Amino acid sequence: MVLKNMNELKRLVEGGPRKKLILAAAHDQHSLGAVIRAWKDNIIEPIFVGDKAGIESICASNNYDITGLRIIHEPESEMSVETAVKMASSNQADILMKGKIGSATLLKCVLNKEWGLRTGNLLSHFALFEVETYHKVIAVTDVAMNIAPTLQDKIAIVNNSVACLNRLGYKIPKVAVLGAVEMVNENMKATLDAALLSKMNQRDQIRNCIIDGPLAFDNAVSLESAQLKGIKSEVAGDTDLLLMPDIEVGNVLYKSLVFFAKAKVASIILGAKVPIVLTSRSDSELAKFDSILLAAAACK
Amino acid sequence: MEEKVLTLNKKHRIAVAWAQDTNTIGAIYKAVKKGFAEAILIGKSSEIRKTCKAEGIDEKIFIFLESENESKASSEAVRLVKNGDADIVMKGLVGTDLFLRAVMDKENGLMLPNAVLSYVGAMEIPAYHKLLFITDPAVIPFPDLDQKVAMAGYAIEMARKFGVKKPKIALIGASEKMSRHFDNSVDYSIMCKMADRDQIKNCVMDGPLDIFLACDNKSIEIKGVDTPVNGEADILLFPSLESCNPFYKGIMLFANGEMAGLIRGTEKPVIVMSRSESEKSKYFCIALSCLMA
Repeated sequence: MVLKNMNELKRLVEGGPRKKLILAAAHDQHSLGAVIRAWKDNIIEPIFVGDKAGIESICASNNYDITGLRIIHEPESEMSVETAVKMASSNQADILMKGKIGSATLLKCVLNKEWGLRTGNLLSHFALFEVETYHKVIAVTDVAMNIAPTLQDKIAIVNNSVACLNRLGYKIPKVAVLGAVEMVNENMKATLDAALLSKMNQRDQIRNCIIDGPLAFDNAVSLESAQLKGIKSEVAGDTDLLLMPDIEVGNVLYKSLVFFAKAKVASIILGAKVPIVLTSRSDSELAKFDSILLAAAACK
Repeated sequence: MEEKVLTLNKKHRIAVAWAQDTNTIGAIYKAVKKGFAEAILIGKSSEIRKTCKAEGIDEKIFIFLESENESKASSEAVRLVKNGDADIVMKGLVGTDLFLRAVMDKENGLMLPNAVLSYVGAMEIPAYHKLLFITDPAVIPFPDLDQKVAMAGYAIEMARKFGVKKPKIALIGASEKMSRHFDNSVDYSIMCKMADRDQIKNCVMDGPLDIFLACDNKSIEIKGVDTPVNGEADILLFPSLESCNPFYKGIMLFANGEMAGLIRGTEKPVIVMSRSESEKSKYFCIALSCLMA
């Protein structure tokens, strides 16, 4: 089972029980709109933690009717994040979302050893794209969190992403480990890591997916490209998840897809007790909304 | 093995360094008699002639070249091959180190440029249904990735000479799991991907695998490991000399296996056998080197 586009993602979560989404530092013009829309579409039930007056004022000026929604007054941004994280940690919410607070501050609370959302797993960024020129949605990881992942990190990143895709209905997602070339080159660590990850997958040390690599970007997304090169691969041309060698190329791909390919994107952070939505001001309203959708679908 | 050599119809000239050794002379004599070799025996001619007489061997079938010590004999044997006056060089009663020094000499030796020097053995084991090639029991103590790739290439080449078009090569370890704590399993995983991408050609490669998964297809079912080698390995590549060497000796001692082997990475075949090996083993080596020449 695969998702062809973001609409199919929406259909996954529609009709199901609404997930509780806690918005930390909720007095935020940039995130409230998407949250209200997701609520109106019956995807989530929001809980706002932040400056009550600020929240009400923003909602009023945008004509968001939030009657009946829970607001926990916490005027100080950092405290509101702490409160939100503690609530998520104690199973009072299914999704954590960032409002008017820096990502670093939010993540610091997430990683708090006493009351945070640690699971012992590495946190990683997971992005799902709908690109017109590709036959289905394609996931990319890790474009924003792990700077220069080691082999161990890559294993954790793959495991996080595959578990998420499993929850989206993908029984055995196809994972392409990207490099600049499809051959093994001792001077290119990305290709060596790819060989190791492939072997671990073959030996069932990384499960519930098919991993192949190294594959260059064109080989991963175009069967024709792969065939021209004589590459024998179960993944080539039909990739569900692109594992990026490092953050630089990941981030560039993410932004290229958005700016040049006009792709739709949804992003969440995996590896914590609950999925985390970390949208930024530069994200489109649609991207923020789709990220909430993705988080809802990714909940256990 | 012998059959393949006899079909070659060519007489290979073998230069034997420090030939005053009963087993060596006996083996060479057999090869000459069978018709696929000629021999130039280098060393103390009087000693060699004495041995021939004692073994009832007609010395007239040999060419003698007088030499005063092991080192000079080794250099002379190598020189003959380098000049084209012989096709194969064979170690007689001289230490391997000394002999290889002559082979590896930068100016006068037989090394191919940038080649990895390594040893491939061919084993005949009664309990196994086909020839089993193993590497490297004699030359490289702890092969790195590049050396392992070269070793694989040589073994594949040899298996193909024996008619195995696409040999199954098992990269041997203690378990089949990849672990970053075991450099060998890391190297093996990289090699498997290289084989996937045709960077190592003409083989079906898998590893890490233990010996059971490599050579016993019942093991495959029991362990539930899906491997294209499937208990049918033609080649076993070992992580070190100290794992390969006891393996072949154990097989010879306990399973009545026979081994013949050859040094690879040289311009012409180089036969190196332990001084304590039997005449039969040495004969097989000669046959093998003629096949590979």
